[in-house]
Amino acid sequence: MRKRSWVAPTAVALGLVATPVLWEITRFPVFYLVFVSGILFWAAQATSWNILSGYSGYFSFGQGAFFGVGVYTMAVLFGRHGWNWLFVVLLGGVAAMLLAAGIGAIAFRLRSLRGEIFALLTLAVPFILAAVVRLVDVIDGGQGIVVPVPAFPEAVAPFQRFYFVISAVVALLALTAAYLMQNNRYGWALFAVRDDEDVAEGLGVPTFFHKMIAIGINGLIGGMSGAVVALNLGFVSVEGTFNLRVPLFVIVMSVLGGRNHWAGPLVGAVYIHTLQNRLADAGFDGWSLIVLGTVLVLLMILAPDGLMSRFSRRPWQVSAAFVLVLAGLAMFGTWGEPVDWVAAALAAAAIVAFLPGRGVSPAQRGVSSVGLGESRAFGEAMKTRGENWTPEPVVTATDVAKSFGGVDALRGVSITVHEGELVGLVGPNGSGKTTLVNLLSGALRPTSGSIRLAGAEIVRLPPHQIAHLGIARTYQIPRPFSSLTVRDNIAVAIMFGREPKSLAESRAEAEEFLMLVGLTDLADVRPEQVNLHERQLLEMARAMATRPSLLLLDEALAGLNPVEIDNAVAVVRRIHGSGVSIVLVEHLLRVVIQLATRVIVLDQGRQLAEGTADVVLRDPAVVTAYMGKESHAPGD
Amino acid sequence: MRKKTPFVSVLVAFLLVIAACGGNGGGEGSTTAPPGTGESPDTTEGSETPEAPSGDPIVVGGTLALTGPLGPTGVIHQIAGELFVDRLNEAGGLLGRPVEWRLLDDESDGARIAELYEQLISQDGVDLIIGPYATPNILAAMPVAERHGFVLPQHTAVLAPALTYACQFPGWSIGPEPNVFIPNQLADALDSLGGDISTVGLVTNEGGSTSFVSYGSPDDPDDAATVTVLPERGYEIVADIPYPIGNTEWGPVATELRDADPDIVVVNGLGVEANGLIEAMGQLDYSPPMMFALFPAPGAVLGLGDAAEGLLSVSIFEPNEPILEAMDPEVREITEEFSARVEEEGLPYTAFETQAAASWNTWEILTQAVEGVGEIDHQAMCDYLHENGADLTFAGQVEFDPASNNFWPTNQVLKQVQDGDWLVVWPEDVAVSELRGPAG
Amino acid sequence: MTELQASIFGALTGSLFALMAVGLSMLWGFLKIINLAHFAMILLGGYLTVDLASRLGMSPVATILITAPLMFLIGALVQAGFDRFGVSELNSLLISYGLLIVTVQIVTNVWTADFQRMSPDINPLSLQSVAIGPFVFPMPTLLAAGFGTVLVFGAHLVLERTYAGRALQAFGQDRQIASAFGIDHRTLGLVLAGTAGASAAIAGMLFAVGEPLTPDSPFEWIGRVFAIVILGGIGNVTGTLYAGVLVGAISGLVSVLWSPSAAPLAVFSLVVLALVFRPNGLFPRKAGH
Repeated sequence: MRKRSWVAPTAVALGLVATPVLWEITRFPVFYLVFVSGILFWAAQATSWNILSGYSGYFSFGQGAFFGVGVYTMAVLFGRHGWNWLFVVLLGGVAAMLLAAGIGAIAFRLRSLRGEIFALLTLAVPFILAAVVRLVDVIDGGQGIVVPVPAFPEAVAPFQRFYFVISAVVALLALTAAYLMQNNRYGWALFAVRDDEDVAEGLGVPTFFHKMIAIGINGLIGGMSGAVVALNLGFVSVEGTFNLRVPLFVIVMSVLGGRNHWAGPLVGAVYIHTLQNRLADAGFDGWSLIVLGTVLVLLMILAPDGLMSRFSRRPWQVSAAFVLVLAGLAMFGTWGEPVDWVAAALAAAAIVAFLPGRGVSPAQRGVSSVGLGESRAFGEAMKTRGENWTPEPVVTATDVAKSFGGVDALRGVSITVHEGELVGLVGPNGSGKTTLVNLLSGALRPTSGSIRLAGAEIVRLPPHQIAHLGIARTYQIPRPFSSLTVRDNIAVAIMFGREPKSLAESRAEAEEFLMLVGLTDLADVRPEQVNLHERQLLEMARAMATRPSLLLLDEALAGLNPVEIDNAVAVVRRIHGSGVSIVLVEHLLRVVIQLATRVIVLDQGRQLAEGTADVVLRDPAVVTAYMGKESHAPGD
Repeated sequence: MRKKTPFVSVLVAFLLVIAACGGNGGGEGSTTAPPGTGESPDTTEGSETPEAPSGDPIVVGGTLALTGPLGPTGVIHQIAGELFVDRLNEAGGLLGRPVEWRLLDDESDGARIAELYEQLISQDGVDLIIGPYATPNILAAMPVAERHGFVLPQHTAVLAPALTYACQFPGWSIGPEPNVFIPNQLADALDSLGGDISTVGLVTNEGGSTSFVSYGSPDDPDDAATVTVLPERGYEIVADIPYPIGNTEWGPVATELRDADPDIVVVNGLGVEANGLIEAMGQLDYSPPMMFALFPAPGAVLGLGDAAEGLLSVSIFEPNEPILEAMDPEVREITEEFSARVEEEGLPYTAFETQAAASWNTWEILTQAVEGVGEIDHQAMCDYLHENGADLTFAGQVEFDPASNNFWPTNQVLKQVQDGDWLVVWPEDVAVSELRGPAG
Repeated sequence: MTELQASIFGALTGSLFALMAVGLSMLWGFLKIINLAHFAMILLGGYLTVDLASRLGMSPVATILITAPLMFLIGALVQAGFDRFGVSELNSLLISYGLLIVTVQIVTNVWTADFQRMSPDINPLSLQSVAIGPFVFPMPTLLAAGFGTVLVFGAHLVLERTYAGRALQAFGQDRQIASAFGIDHRTLGLVLAGTAGASAAIAGMLFAVGEPLTPDSPFEWIGRVFAIVILGGIGNVTGTLYAGVLVGAISGLVSVLWSPSAAPLAVFSLVVLALVFRPNGLFPRKAGH
């Protein structure tokens, strides 16, 4: 995510505020107020959609539901019953927000409801609402509702200016929310969810809470914007409100503009609305949809990440192109109307953005160099240890079992990990090692048994709370947040740690973990650009950033060459030395022998043996289990 | 990909620029022949070749649903309007000036309509406007017209109570209370059949005007409408089936009707809905003794052949031979030219009937207002129409009473499919053929 | 009686929508493409059927001999495009939407925005029906049920019994691993997309035989087709057929028990419930195949 830039938001805000004043002075055709109001409507809808779907990755096809709730709230309460319109705008937002909360409460709680399923669920909601609105006479009954023109203060007369002002207010709300979220913890939680929700949850991000915030904002703004639009429509009908236009076009605009940037949907709205207006105006008798569709297809192929990603590579050139063409046409004066000049200027900006040449990649450009901050001493978990120190149990699993359908992955395993231990967890494939790690970290719930962390039962807790209580884990195949840099991956874990911290603080604190694993030189690089070993180190750093008392390393050394293995072992030693207890799941028995203070062997979901490494690994039952089942010999 | 990029970006830019270009008063689609080049021979009586109109064109702005769900009928209004403007220009234009129709496609999108009419009025600076097609769209354009004080003649909103703007003038009127008039007119016609018909199956499209005609306004529980009027007139309603707009499942509705067995099925619906229902009933081997459809797409129904025989509907004009003979020869000319143009476009049904006549009425209201005042002054035009009414080719002299929202007493008649054609059958004094009663 | 007849009407219509849905479902499930252009192909297929039958006097059903191969090619071409540009799932939705509106406009320009349908002399099927006992089975949708069943079960057999079919299933479940096993996903993808296109042509023909067409029709189909895709389970061909029939029957039943306006309420509420309790569809394939 790029650092906060104040230029664009200030420009937008100023522009919006200045326009009605400008109109007062110059009295340019009032059509322009209406035209921009249209853009603002779409900007509000698309931005609010993007806060949920773009930022968190949960694609919603149901924007029409929030929009429709807003429209009908205004139509019924103001249009039919004459309530105060301003109050009703707020009510419309609240009503849509409640609907959003309802959808979220159902959809986000269910693990299985990810991705496409969520999208389809949201697709169904507007259809249901449409049917209900049509059936219930008190709401619509099918005949539609006339919405009279509201009474508005003289100061903002005429109606078009008044409408512009309220549209601008709602749009500003949306844009502000998106802008703020892009650079604070709310947005970052969503980005983490988008990149890898399970990992985020395991690092301490309360994913449910943040998704609810996102969908709540989506609903609130979608509803308010819908209520405002109803004032301009004059007549509201079911088929005019609950059709595919709003749900589809918010997606079009957001994707076209760019889903990663707060201004992306705004840019998309500007382009699409201008294009549609100019096409309708041209009266091309049978070409407008063809042109629109073609432009859509081309832009999606050329800029699958959206226009903003292109614009931000050479922002000054793009802005210059826009301003120059616009000014040039304005001064020249005889060609076309102002709307045409804007369209041409937009086209110019797009051309410049698509010129060959990479421009400057945002990741490399001016990322604030984070100061080293104070290097904190390790060992928050380290207590002063007296001579008669007896290690307390950190985590105790009693008789935990886990079955998936008919498969028993774990059948009654009991283990205890004490302070300062490094427990090696070994066993042939399918013995249940990863399942046990999943249970301890809370990613899965045991079918039976109990797990206690520092004496308290944690079986029913969500993973992010378990993370805050002190258990962290890494993944066998590293799962970094692909859209964040190495440093930011770690920073996220710190941001959502036990005490919430700001982005800047988290980035500063990330230094110590970069140093811990030796990734300082790669801090500002994307995970896809580093190799497997480095990614595994990142996993460890990120997990450590949650300051756990227990770290679960799930085959953290898989796929490494001998040099890398030695390096990784050194890192694990450093981690252990800082006072963290470790459970090390490993196939590489020589590593286990090097590191582990104690070894537990699992086979077919049961505990086969336990003790010090040399003893356990010579146990005939263990040898049989390995030799008879798979081919990893000790010492490779 | 890199090599393609400049070409494609140029293409994109080209498209955007073209789009910007086209709106610049240069070539717009759907406008009319330039002044003085009309080639159709002037066959009006007492012909002297009128002077070609000259001077600055008078621009009439408007939108129509040329695409989208309302497209099928929007296109009719486009052709009718173009024909009117061409003939107007051939006859010397308006106030001696050529008339241009700046027509935009609104894609049946209410929000866009408001924006487009704002554009036409406040940016393009059109002199006059004419309304879009279909009630919700007209209601969307109305506040814009009102804000700018423009006279709004419109051709298809009959939902009188909703059209509150004083300077809105309907080209198609079913009077101030269509919800009362229509069922009464139908009951009158059925009464004349001498008691053969006593039960009714009511099927209603739950949208705007059709729902209003069936059930009245939801805001007024005492509102009379089909469901109250028909029983009062002695016709029992044995089935009452509302369906959503865009419904295509007629099997279940047909099944219910078959089992209720009414003497007449009244379909207050639009477009091809009656078609679908007739076919579904045919599949069940069920044919009600009589059937009525409110606003069907006329050509589509005829395409059903025998199954559609006897179907009743409403009309404000049919190009039936006796009617044409009784009217000015100019009328025949208009209908023939219209049919020719429609056929050229490739539309399946070419007759000039209710929709086209409504369009014609609307244009006449507009041009008579301008001519009556002698200049383009909307307030004066509005007053003129209130004071003088209009003399319409297809409706005669009509008066606009603000108390009825300008909805003049209707000239609506009933038509029936007889031998593959729509013929006017009611009231008796204007019928060209006798109303046929229940089949069999 | 009324209820049963209404359900029959609905179930048969549902099978037509299931036929529309199958192609979409397979593309989504196996190739991770949400292809709205599928609706464009159905529309084109329908219009071509009307055109060929009216102009050349062909029997409407026979027109698929021309339209199906044509749509096969178009379908494969579109898929080739998606492949070539490495389009993601969401972007495929938007690109195919662009293709859809372009097609709608072209259809409007060529055939006008008016309703198109074949007259009964060209298309006698529209008024015909088969009576079994007291119940009536309208011919157009009965045909649809027939075609649908044959196509769906044929597809099912191909998917389960042939190498290509299983390769497709594997590809749908895990792209990377399937490719690692040397499965040529590109050719398979093209064949699959082509087949979906051909099924679209057939669905278009069946639609044209039973209903009037307008260029705007695809937008009326989208909701119901997606509902069927969801309920059937994405990528589950037989499930899609069952879901279509079920949705149709429920629709018909609710229409007479309550009103036609309530039918979408019932169907989409069912969708929501299904998603919450059975996210893999109401008719999940047996596990472990």
